[in-house]
Amino acid sequence: MSDSKAATLTPSMARDLADARDFDPRDPLVGLDRHALSGPRLERRTVLRLLAASGALTAAHLMPAALKPARAADGGTLRAGWAGVGEFRTLDPAQINQVLLFQISSNVFGGLTHIDPLLVAQGDLATDWSANADGTEYVFNLREGVTFQNGDPFTADDVIFTYQRSRDPDKSIHSRVVSNIKDIEKLGDHKIKIILAAPQASLLVKTLERSSGRAMTIVSRGALEAMGPQQYGLTPVGTGPFRVTKHQLGQSITLERFDDYYDPERPKLDKVTIQPIIDPEPLAAAIEAGDIQIIGGNPPAPELIDRFEDNPDISVSTVPGPGFQSLFMNPWRDPFKVTDFNKPLDELMKDPGFMVRLAIAKAIDRDLYIERAQFGRGVPAYGTINEAMGFYFDPAIADSSNQKYDLAEAKRLLADAGYPDGEGFPTLKVIHTPATRRDVLIIKNILKTGLGIDIDLDTKDFPVLIDQFDKMDWDLCRLGSGGDFDPDDGLVDWMQTASKFNGRTRDKSVHPFGFFSEAEVDKLIDQERTTADLDQRKALVQKANQLTSDKVACAFIYHPVDNLVYRKEVFFPDESRIPGLVDLDRVQVA
Amino acid sequence: MADIAQREAQELAPRPSRARRWLRYILADYKAAAGLVILSVLLFSAIFAPLIAPYDPNDMAFMMMGGPSWEHPLGTDDLGRDLLSRLLYGTRISLFVGISTVAIALVIGVGLGVMAGYFGGFVDTVIMRYVDLQWAFPNFIIAVYLVAVFGTGLLNVIVAVSLAFVDDFARVARSMVLTIKEEQYVAAARTLGASNNRIMWRHILPNTMAPIIVQGTVSISYAILAEAGLSFLGLGVEADTPTWGLILSDARSFISRAWWLGVFPGLFIMITVLSINFLGDALRDIMDVREFKERH
Amino acid sequence: MSGYLVRRFLGAIVVMWAVATLVFFMLRAIPGDPLAAILFDVGDAQAIADLKTKLGLDQPVYVQYVKWFWLLLQGDFGNSIYGSRIEVSRIIMEALPRTLSLAGIAFVIAIAIAVPAGLISALRKHSALDHTVTVVAFLGLSMPDFWLGIMLIIVFAANLHWLPAIGYQPLSEGFWPWLSHLILPAIAVGTPFAAIIARMIRSSMLEVLKSDYINVARSKGLLSWRIIFVHAFPNALIPVVTVLGIAVALLMAGAVVVENVFAIKGLGRVLIEGILNRDYPVVQGAILAVSAIFVFANLLVDVLYTVIDPRIHYD
Repeated sequence: MSDSKAATLTPSMARDLADARDFDPRDPLVGLDRHALSGPRLERRTVLRLLAASGALTAAHLMPAALKPARAADGGTLRAGWAGVGEFRTLDPAQINQVLLFQISSNVFGGLTHIDPLLVAQGDLATDWSANADGTEYVFNLREGVTFQNGDPFTADDVIFTYQRSRDPDKSIHSRVVSNIKDIEKLGDHKIKIILAAPQASLLVKTLERSSGRAMTIVSRGALEAMGPQQYGLTPVGTGPFRVTKHQLGQSITLERFDDYYDPERPKLDKVTIQPIIDPEPLAAAIEAGDIQIIGGNPPAPELIDRFEDNPDISVSTVPGPGFQSLFMNPWRDPFKVTDFNKPLDELMKDPGFMVRLAIAKAIDRDLYIERAQFGRGVPAYGTINEAMGFYFDPAIADSSNQKYDLAEAKRLLADAGYPDGEGFPTLKVIHTPATRRDVLIIKNILKTGLGIDIDLDTKDFPVLIDQFDKMDWDLCRLGSGGDFDPDDGLVDWMQTASKFNGRTRDKSVHPFGFFSEAEVDKLIDQERTTADLDQRKALVQKANQLTSDKVACAFIYHPVDNLVYRKEVFFPDESRIPGLVDLDRVQVA
Repeated sequence: MADIAQREAQELAPRPSRARRWLRYILADYKAAAGLVILSVLLFSAIFAPLIAPYDPNDMAFMMMGGPSWEHPLGTDDLGRDLLSRLLYGTRISLFVGISTVAIALVIGVGLGVMAGYFGGFVDTVIMRYVDLQWAFPNFIIAVYLVAVFGTGLLNVIVAVSLAFVDDFARVARSMVLTIKEEQYVAAARTLGASNNRIMWRHILPNTMAPIIVQGTVSISYAILAEAGLSFLGLGVEADTPTWGLILSDARSFISRAWWLGVFPGLFIMITVLSINFLGDALRDIMDVREFKERH
Repeated sequence: MSGYLVRRFLGAIVVMWAVATLVFFMLRAIPGDPLAAILFDVGDAQAIADLKTKLGLDQPVYVQYVKWFWLLLQGDFGNSIYGSRIEVSRIIMEALPRTLSLAGIAFVIAIAIAVPAGLISALRKHSALDHTVTVVAFLGLSMPDFWLGIMLIIVFAANLHWLPAIGYQPLSEGFWPWLSHLILPAIAVGTPFAAIIARMIRSSMLEVLKSDYINVARSKGLLSWRIIFVHAFPNALIPVVTVLGIAVALLMAGAVVVENVFAIKGLGRVLIEGILNRDYPVVQGAILAVSAIFVFANLLVDVLYTVIDPRIHYD
């Protein structure tokens, strides 16, 4: 949920635009000199620093590479299943905002850069680049001899065309991503200059990146004109390793090896078929039966992972996942009503509404929850900052947080709030999506056995849930976030009074804020997003995170993990194991 | 007064004997007899579920996915709940869904059908236009759609499924009324000056009961299956309501690792529906109902 | 006859219109805002309002209805409100062959099982075989179809590897890929239908075998197989044809559930996803398509009925 953009540019978006983090003039690029920023590739030290700055450093970077299985032969067909999706309505980079879609487009398109497993920007359609001293101008040398899958040559004009298209909010939902780019100048057929309004740390790793950026994923002007945007969305044409040869809506996409791909060594496979499979059971059956050989798309349901690991034909590769999952409590409703979080903590602790909030947060035995609901896969959460953010993640919060599991204390708080052993506690409703039904049942059980309070499940489809959540029309809500690579994905998007997920369509005359509002948190977050010094930023991030935890913005439950599941006959090299992506250009099948 | 009482006694008199006759027929048919016995046992366990069930059906106190054992004869589910207890409580709710659904559909449907058939003309046209419209859809699809409108949950599922079945009852009732209306005793009652209401309730309705009982019996089994199907599609009852359908559909990801989770709820549904079908089949023979439409 | 056909056809059109209208208005009664879900990430009340205007969802419902109906008359079902807003007609046309293939194969499998089973059952009335057929038929009626589907996958796909577990291949990929993907779901869909047909054939055969002309034929000393297949069976089929309309209902309802088990993006799957996503135009289109199949299949059955049973005349 990190960076999708609206179809149209509204006044309020324009406002957002002015201070969005992607191109924040005060962002932490400062301090890296131009040599460090120039490439064919970035130095590892610089990279780690950049990654940390953009929050994309994960624990995976520090892990030793796994033992590689024997190399399989080239050629052949790979059958893939994409989880949690019914059909691929569009693959047009300008229109996609879901991870499961850019996993596919990353195999079809190219960009100026592409991240590797360490989330380091490598040259893709750019061979090398250099930056000026203050990091506001970049000159890129483009790869020569690259052709689109329809035979058109790739030149500087295509970069400019893509930029123009992405900038237009009528044509692209990513216009915000490129709004820090003031201009792109053509210096030659294979040379361009990008002029930024202000320095921007995430330019190479995000904005110009072929998959996660989408804004500068290079599209084919010729193909767009020939087939129109709608058909282009179904059978797009790019410069990537595979070309879409067939798209049966709702049934499958067929990718075939693009013979004129710029790297003759890639792709290894001749053909890939991708089937959308929305339900967990058919997905599991399909990979067990060998109908499909690899699972992409949304993370497969946690209950399936054990089952796959038990299966000798199936491999599971696990890395920390970027996101958090929570139980939200509506501060405008009894019995956890808190209309003002701006008090010192010890004073807040005397407020009966706050005591109930804290009691619920403290009563959730996160280890038990993870064991039962996630089958042992996950990291207990006490804030939005997740383990995948490496540099910013504070393992000590598990001990220091006010929300730390302590049942006796939770019971005491509840009794002091007037509900000894849950007596007289109203039966509350928790809204949740069908996908989280099982895990809400476990939370219900934990609260019932621990505190003696009862909650009712109210299963809502995602559109209904969001509608209610935005209006603050709920008691409890089970919700969370994914794709959070930067601290701001959690803090700026969720924890500030003006955050986009914080009661956006509420009646402001009735509810002055959404689910949480705290002046110091607001201030700390404003500071961290514009702080250049990494250690300083880290301190600010951790402080803000700690405050949201202590003051129970919500009951944080767990951070998910990222599992990649494939059959043993598939050779998935480490250099392709990019968190969140399923790049198939180096994949082989026996 | 005595006169009336006597007449009512006469009217009532044959009924118990008819019921006894039916029972004899049913017991003579081994399939129907088995069905009756099974349904009685299920009904008993539904009523006394709290006494029979070994554990609280929602208590997640046990090992996750433990196989059948002495402590847990049917094993435990993916959340560590006792499967037998859940299925026994599920009997309660599933039978309740089946019976209440059919009761509602029957009252509304028969009411509409009798009115349409008896009054004819404009009333008939309006009612049958609606019934025909509903007839244009498979019942299950109507139920799917109504749940989408009403939202999920036990009550909504019951309302949705019963409304989906209304047309079946309306049709059966109407066609029976049309046949009976022409019978001599109705004409006789009319010439004797009986009111519309009286003729409808006293003379016509009782005589339409045979096919409606058959339709009702079989519809209970369809309602149970419909609830299961809706639960499977995520359009069913509340997440912690133990109905057979939900227990079974929740088990789907675990069946290959814990066979008992798929097999036992499936058996409960199958045996119940089978029993009802056997019973319905016997009733059909007994009451000599021929023009019977089976729908899903 | 032709007057009757025209009237029936017009009646079917009216039913379709009523269905479309009812669906349109009831859908607007569903709680939930699809646009909030689409733009969840963007997080802007203004953006939601703007998109609403763009899609015309801010206008009064009756205005939306008139516009929608006018477009519908021109064959325009509207566009999905998600992704690159694909035409609903395209989504339906892609889904239609899958559902029809599934229903068709299910029908063939069901008939292939039901006809011999029903015949044997009738000819060996009250034998052990008859009882077995009856019990199996009732079992078939008593299983939740999704459960049967899952069991079939576990046994025949995941363990025995005889058939693919899920998915669909169009006929253009070859006959066997197409058929092999449809066998398991078709069994799941066709089983209750087979049970009903077998029971129908049994009782209808018994009826015919009791009748006078069969006795006459028998008294003339005709061979019994000749009596059965030339005289009795065709007549026994007449009442069976009446349930073909029901067959369509059963197969469509079964397909809605079973398509979900086997990840086949047919009309049922389109419908359920549309409902879950509140994708109004898609739901409307899918319901119209499903009911059109049903209404016209019934029309066809009526016509077929007059053809095979000369005793029935319409004017």
